Amino acid sequence: MLEARALEVSYGESLALRGVNFTVREGELVTVIGANGAGKSTILRTIMGLVKCRKGEIYFQGENITFTAPHHRARMGISLVPEGRRVFGDLTVVENLRMGAYVKKNRKEIDSAMEEAFHLFPVLRERRRQVGKTLSGGEQQMLAIARSLMSKPRMILMDEVSLGLMPLYVEETFNVIGKLHEQGVTIFLVEQNARKALQAADRGYVLETGEIVMSDTSGNLAADPMIKKAYLGA
Amino acid sequence: MIWQQLANGISVGSVYALISLGLTMVYGILRILHVAHAGIYTLGAYVGLLSFRLVDNFWLSLFAGMVGAAVAGYLVERFLYTPILHLSRIAPLIASIGLFTAMEEAFRIVAGPHTLVYNARVGLGDLAIGSFRLTETQVLILLVSFLILLFLWLFLTRSRMGLAMRACALDLETASSFGVNVSAIIAMNFIIGSLMAGAAGVLIGVYDNQVWPTMGSIPAYKALAIVVLGGLGSIPGTVLASIIVGLSETFFIGVLSIPFPRDAVAFIAMILVLMFRPYGLLGKA
Ligand SMILES: Nc1ncnc2c1ncn2[C@@H]1O[C@H](COP(=O)(O)OP(=O)(O)OP(=O)(O)O)[C@@H](O)[C@H]1O
Ligand SMILES: [Mg+2]
Repeated sequence: MLEARALEVSYGESLALRGVNFTVREGELVTVIGANGAGKSTILRTIMGLVKCRKGEIYFQGENITFTAPHHRARMGISLVPEGRRVFGDLTVVENLRMGAYVKKNRKEIDSAMEEAFHLFPVLRERRRQVGKTLSGGEQQMLAIARSLMSKPRMILMDEVSLGLMPLYVEETFNVIGKLHEQGVTIFLVEQNARKALQAADRGYVLETGEIVMSDTSGNLAADPMIKKAYLGA
Repeated sequence: MIWQQLANGISVGSVYALISLGLTMVYGILRILHVAHAGIYTLGAYVGLLSFRLVDNFWLSLFAGMVGAAVAGYLVERFLYTPILHLSRIAPLIASIGLFTAMEEAFRIVAGPHTLVYNARVGLGDLAIGSFRLTETQVLILLVSFLILLFLWLFLTRSRMGLAMRACALDLETASSFGVNVSAIIAMNFIIGSLMAGAAGVLIGVYDNQVWPTMGSIPAYKALAIVVLGGLGSIPGTVLASIIVGLSETFFIGVLSIPFPRDAVAFIAMILVLMFRPYGLLGKA
């Protein structure tokens, strides 16, 4: 479904991705683990089209989207839960969710997606008239996840979605991710919480300073002594 | 007497709002000071006057002035700002000041240096209730600006595109990742802002019964003061600040007869407010 070939991304002079290759097949849940600054967010932002790659190609459902604008990629069914939530601070919860469904025009579809979002995170229903910036950090994180689900994306890119959530909600979030996975949504997941990510994912990539150094099934990665030592704290 | 001054102040203030809103909207989305916006305002007045002479109908000329301004605003965005946005922030500002000066010279060359009369019969008539009296042009200004502000408010709060515009002012990148065509929204900000500036140009042209090449000079810096006073980028703040400045001008000069240059009021208000609220009345850090 998604394929990246020899992606090279730089911020100014410094290379953040040094020729990265990866694929995500339809319905798969794939994770990228790596240290701070390894380039995980950069990968997701490049797939969304928010940063341009200076070399390499990206294919989505067989189509070359390397030079496609972000809003077209959104219309093709890619959705990003950005790092740091990026909730629209002056918009209400409902308006934030409507923005998530911006590519949808059918009123009924939007309303039912909103019902689902409230069902998923009941606290958002209570807060629906509140503006984004007045929500707690965890509530904002839930809103960011719900917002990215509003468009019923084919592929969802999640950047550290459990960050700042209390354990109960981390559980809940991974339940949601698991459910989406069961429904056949393709998921590309970046997580600080490597243990959880590897539990949930089918496959994983290990990223080190802009290069993929390992790629295997999550089971094998989780069992790898080097991974255990570096990312699982064991 | 007080009601009379209040009405005078609000009608002056609503024209200020029409001029300043475009400035605040452009700043809100692109973080540039669109000084040439006052040139768009003057262009609106000239286009309105020209079409009034052609068709002899005020309402059509108002419409033409707005459309003319909107087209000009769009062209400025597309061909002046967008190509240089990636440069340092000072580049668009310099370009904008240059364009404003060039526009004033162009008006002088094309339409002549003298003032032209905009003697339109609007067809509304004066409004008089006891000693309270509004001239026809005041009624016109209040009516047109109220309608425009109402439309703007409905558009921003009720429509899908209005929602996208507000989202873009908050976070362009995230909005784009949800499918918003950011360059269309940027263009829309210029078009709507310029429509309002064009309307303001025509209204002032009729109110003062004159149109002249540098009629935008004072509004250029006054709108700047108003936008800063209201809180850069804040639409409600700009409307509030416009009304406050309109009222203060009317009260200080009209009622208290303080021998004081009228056009300094906006700046004094701005300085006073910034001393206590560095981000303006409704601005954000
Ligand atoms: N806008 C930017 N300008 C300059 N350098 C950047 C920018 N964004 C990221 N970088 C650099 O690119 C590299 C990769 O950053 P990235 O955000 O992708 O890392 P990450 O793996 O997501 O890290 P974290 O786990 O801390 O979120 C880092 O060295 C970072 O300093
Ligand atoms: Mg990151």
